[in-house]
Amino acid sequence: MPRGARTDSRADTAIAAACALVALVLLILPDGPRDRTAGAIRGTVVAPLAALQQRAGLARRAFTSHDSLVAIADSVVRRSQQLDEVTAENERLRALLGLGKALRWGFVPAEALVGRGLGEEHTLVLSAGSRAGVRPLSAVVAAEGLVGMVRHVDAGTSVAITWPHPDFRVSATTPDGSAFGIVSAHQGEGAEGFLLELRGVPFRSRIPVGTAVVSSGLGGVYPRGIPIGTVVQVLRTNAGWERTYLLRPAVRPPDVTAVLVLSPDRTTDGVESTWLPGRDSVLARQP
Amino acid sequence: MNRGRTVGILVMVAVLVALHFSLRPILDWRAGVDFLTIAVLVAAVRVRPGMAALIGFAVGLVADALAPESLGAGALAMTLVGFSASRLKAAFFADNVAINAVFVFVGKVAFDWIFLLAERRLTGGALVSQLLLWTPLAAALTALTGLLVMAVMRPTLERRRP
Repeated sequence: MPRGARTDSRADTAIAAACALVALVLLILPDGPRDRTAGAIRGTVVAPLAALQQRAGLARRAFTSHDSLVAIADSVVRRSQQLDEVTAENERLRALLGLGKALRWGFVPAEALVGRGLGEEHTLVLSAGSRAGVRPLSAVVAAEGLVGMVRHVDAGTSVAITWPHPDFRVSATTPDGSAFGIVSAHQGEGAEGFLLELRGVPFRSRIPVGTAVVSSGLGGVYPRGIPIGTVVQVLRTNAGWERTYLLRPAVRPPDVTAVLVLSPDRTTDGVESTWLPGRDSVLARQP
Repeated sequence: MNRGRTVGILVMVAVLVALHFSLRPILDWRAGVDFLTIAVLVAAVRVRPGMAALIGFAVGLVADALAPESLGAGALAMTLVGFSASRLKAAFFADNVAINAVFVFVGKVAFDWIFLLAERRLTGGALVSQLLLWTPLAAALTALTGLLVMAVMRPTLERRRP
């Protein structure tokens, strides 16, 4: 072996031996100095690598827990949606309790099941029947206003039609009695199918947009003063002698879960002060 | 060794060290790929034994710093592996895929054996299963990965050779 190469070889061995010696010294250091040494290395040259390792660990945890996190998020979203529904239903029930207190007598409370089948979308199955005092042609109301009318009555249940039903009609007026007409469902497409029409209003009786429309009490089925809807716009004018108005309904049938069925005696006696603003109104009587 | 080649080796070592602390925790395999051993071995066959020992010491110390209880064990193991690999390169290292794979495999096994015996943390059955089961598995994976790294890095490193 040439002399230069031998010298290099010795130097290499010396370097390796020195490194091994330092490593052995580190290995046998007591806990305190060893931790301080490791901490010093970690805090300087190894700091970026330690941060990299930490981020990699977090990335792995995020990756492995992704499915469970999504499941948890879905559950939270679902619960929050259910919470909204429960809150809304709670408010409706509270309002209905207020309505019951305002009416005081002459009504039958019932749970309502909105028909989901073909041809049932405009009917409600009520959990009260003739045994509870429900009679055909009784008005069905909610805290917001008129829902419909009882059509069939069995002993334990009854069936009511709601205002979107093609057969639904109610005589209506403005609260001040300045205009009268007949309210029925507006036969429009899409969202317009959930609006009402006030027909046959005399040409001389102009109703401003935003005016509330209530039942007039004519006809003997619906007592005077039940809210039906609010005027949205003039729909058409027929030959200069009558106007038809488009109404936004006071009640959305899909939201109805509980109703009150008014008895014939109560219809005769009237409910006019129940929905009017003031001390006896539904809002004032909510618990 | 020219400056370009030195820079190439340093970059390669840095990339492999970064992979060790980024990809390895993400994979989190019991028998994981040891990028540090690959870095030391690939560098060792291209530098003198003394430099290989220094590189091994530095890389081992970096690994030890993140596991303070075994401070020094990794540095000792990497020093010996780097020095030995550089000494043995003339005899074993060649342009042969199988020999390169065996080289990395033996390097990883040697590192694990020295490390585990030096740190004296594992004993009994745990030590035996680690040495005879998990270490060979990790070494096999490391060897495969090492071949891949060599295939990727060789054009860069060999082109700079004078």
